[in-house]
Amino acid sequence: MCAVNVFARISNVLNMERRKFLKNSALASSLLLVPNFVKALETQPLNTLGYKRLVIIQLSGGNDGLNTIIPHNNEIYYNARPRLAITQNIIKLNDDLGFHPSMAPLRALFDNGEMSIINNVGYPNPVRSHFRSMDIWQTASHANEYLQSGWLGRYLDEHGNQPYNAIEIDNQLSLAMKGEHFNGIATNNHNVLYKTSKNPFFKGLSDHFDDKHLSEHNLGYLYRTMIDARSSAKYIYENTKVSLSQQEYPQNAFAKQLKNVAQFINSGLETKVFYTALSGFDTHANQLNTQKRLLTQYSDSISAFVKDLKRNNTFKDTLILTFSEFGRRVKQNAANGTDHGAANNIFVIGKKLKKAGFYNKLASLSDLDDNGDIKYEVDFRAVYKTILNNWMNVSSEGIIMSKHNSLDFI
Amino acid sequence: MTLEEIKHLHWRAGFGIQEEVLSNKSFNKKQVIDALFDDSASALALNVDVSYLDGINLSDIKTNPSLAKKLREKNRKKALDINIAWMERMTYSKDTLRERMTLFWANHFVCQDKNPKHILQYNNTLRSHALGDFRTFIKAISKEAAMLKYLNGKQNRKRKPNENFARELMELFTLGEGFYTELDIKESARAFTGYNHNFEGSFVFMKLQHDYGFKTFLNRTGRFNGEDIIDIILENKQCARFISDKIYRYFVNPKPNITHIEAMTEVFYKDYNIEELMRFVFTSDWFYFKENIGAKIKSPIELLVGMTKTVPFKFERKKDVAGIQKLLGQMLLKPPNVAGWKGDKAWIDASTIMIRLRLPSMLLNNAVIPVDEYGAFNERFKSRFFKKNNGKLPFKILPDWDMFLKNFQSVKTIDLADIIIQGKFSKGTKAFLDTLKKASKRDYCVQLMSLPEYQMC
Repeated sequence: MCAVNVFARISNVLNMERRKFLKNSALASSLLLVPNFVKALETQPLNTLGYKRLVIIQLSGGNDGLNTIIPHNNEIYYNARPRLAITQNIIKLNDDLGFHPSMAPLRALFDNGEMSIINNVGYPNPVRSHFRSMDIWQTASHANEYLQSGWLGRYLDEHGNQPYNAIEIDNQLSLAMKGEHFNGIATNNHNVLYKTSKNPFFKGLSDHFDDKHLSEHNLGYLYRTMIDARSSAKYIYENTKVSLSQQEYPQNAFAKQLKNVAQFINSGLETKVFYTALSGFDTHANQLNTQKRLLTQYSDSISAFVKDLKRNNTFKDTLILTFSEFGRRVKQNAANGTDHGAANNIFVIGKKLKKAGFYNKLASLSDLDDNGDIKYEVDFRAVYKTILNNWMNVSSEGIIMSKHNSLDFI
Repeated sequence: MTLEEIKHLHWRAGFGIQEEVLSNKSFNKKQVIDALFDDSASALALNVDVSYLDGINLSDIKTNPSLAKKLREKNRKKALDINIAWMERMTYSKDTLRERMTLFWANHFVCQDKNPKHILQYNNTLRSHALGDFRTFIKAISKEAAMLKYLNGKQNRKRKPNENFARELMELFTLGEGFYTELDIKESARAFTGYNHNFEGSFVFMKLQHDYGFKTFLNRTGRFNGEDIIDIILENKQCARFISDKIYRYFVNPKPNITHIEAMTEVFYKDYNIEELMRFVFTSDWFYFKENIGAKIKSPIELLVGMTKTVPFKFERKKDVAGIQKLLGQMLLKPPNVAGWKGDKAWIDASTIMIRLRLPSMLLNNAVIPVDEYGAFNERFKSRFFKKNNGKLPFKILPDWDMFLKNFQSVKTIDLADIIIQGKFSKGTKAFLDTLKKASKRDYCVQLMSLPEYQMC
């Protein structure tokens, strides 16, 4: 045990030294000068303090950002939404913007400098189809570009070696978690997964498996998935401590996902990325009640999750990113709902934020695009790049294909 | 036709092998394909009793909250009944091609609803047009109560158009992305204004909500209504290509072949006759090419219905049907979103692959996959499994192994793989199968169904 710790500590120190070195070096973009043994240390399990994790929360359906972070001093907002604007109990965060009333549990995070709200995040030529826009967010592609792998999947391609390095708490794996060669694992019940994988028949199959002829097509994919699943199921089952969480969570499916994530993080699993989702935000009609219910679930669950991590001293090594595939139209529709829009706000929650609170101002509501949607100012891929560079401490090359400047929220 | 080819046809045009395949009636290609279409010549509506909704109107529900609550519960149960009735239809009816097409269209004109009457009506609209005229089909879909609700058509009014249906009509139902502009969406949404339905589920056109003004759509200008918009879309060959591409990926191979899809497009563009298109596919030589056989990953429904066709079984508890579908990631009548299930590799990840491989033994053999090599271990596994689950299986099932043995009487145990598995075995698995005793036809069947190879069709 001592050996491992010492090892890890050396590696941390070396990493820090290397970072300093790279920062100061004129050859910062090149990794060629890094001695091989440093790189070797990097790939060692760092199952200890300083192991940075990323938790993604996807709000599916297109969350209405304007009724989430409310421009409570903006006449245009109220005029565009005569029956939909939030007028009461807004939790004012500054003179211009405030939380939806259901987001009270997040107030403390905001006040403590543990939350950064980035406004007007999007991409050029925004697509207003759920599926396409979600694919764009998940693959980090251009609007007119079709990528078959996700940005987190490509991170795994470069830096992962086991499916459990990225876990999605769901029955199905999102495109974001699928790499060119490597996939994360999806499970919403790791005990069931383990029990299933243990069957002796599958051991026989795996023992006889010969992968020479099965690299590309569908049958090969099934075999590889089966073999990866067996080893990952075993790892997760054996390394997850059950009785860690004393934190109370709300009773809903989203909270359950986060509770699972906290359990994995607090058990020290070698998992870099967790993926969760809350859906139902496609509020074309009767938006007020639906969004209220969903934002309540979101805020209560996040609040419990952060408390759980803090209690186990893992919050400082966890970064939580919340996004939706697009915002919604500024003007409400006839059904007391809103149609698909464009740029939207995203939330970054974590301990070590460089720029907490509001990262930038809400874009003008009088200067909208041709559809009447908010124009983007911050490219979502710049956010990804920043997280990869400044949080995961990896180069974004080969993961984010387009060129962007890093932001300075972490 | 070879046995492999006829199995291929039945897996793609239906849900797997039928008794008549085993009894080897006719292997003449033309006769086999003609029979397939003859058996599906007319559409028999799916029937589930929803008469409890008769005589109830909207104001009853609005003024009587306890009635509304009762109805909601009843509706949920009924929706499950429809799910089960549909599964049974796919498993047992003779018009397998029509049912296969219905399932395909349900994942093309994707829709979800809570009202069982409207669900059933929508499902039967899919069924009755499944092999018919695509133009009539899509016009019918645009007027379906469930669709008018699902894509907000009924909220699409002159004063404030709602673009949802217009957008998906082009993106997902007819043209695919990139063949229209945002302006085309706005303009066509205006053409569909005034579409609505009554409580019974019949289409109602509300004149006062319709925008009779000029619209400019796909470079044409006129006082277009919804039907005009559909006609203009169909003039674009891209529509025939988009549908052909989707049908190719679903019925032939998830990897598209441009030449074959173009040939299909030519056939379909002539008059948008779905039956002609399908006949062209199934009679084409390329449909039976080796690379297309066993190339497709079964959807959960294909997997379940296909298994039932080989070893008949019934769920004792209704909710288990929904439970299994959910576990496998495809609940009938509950698509993830309007794009439907992605299919192919998207069905499979670390968790679904394990569930799928365990499923046949769970459903048919008390959770045990017989393995001679690991006999003792298997017994231990079995006792542990039952201990953990209080001696209960997660599902209550009655498999009819007698029927299986009767149907497979003429098949030798060692030849079972030729019937049960589509396409090639992986090399290692062939070696693994050689180590198995194959003493019992039933055990061997469970073993074969527990292979990744069984997930392919």
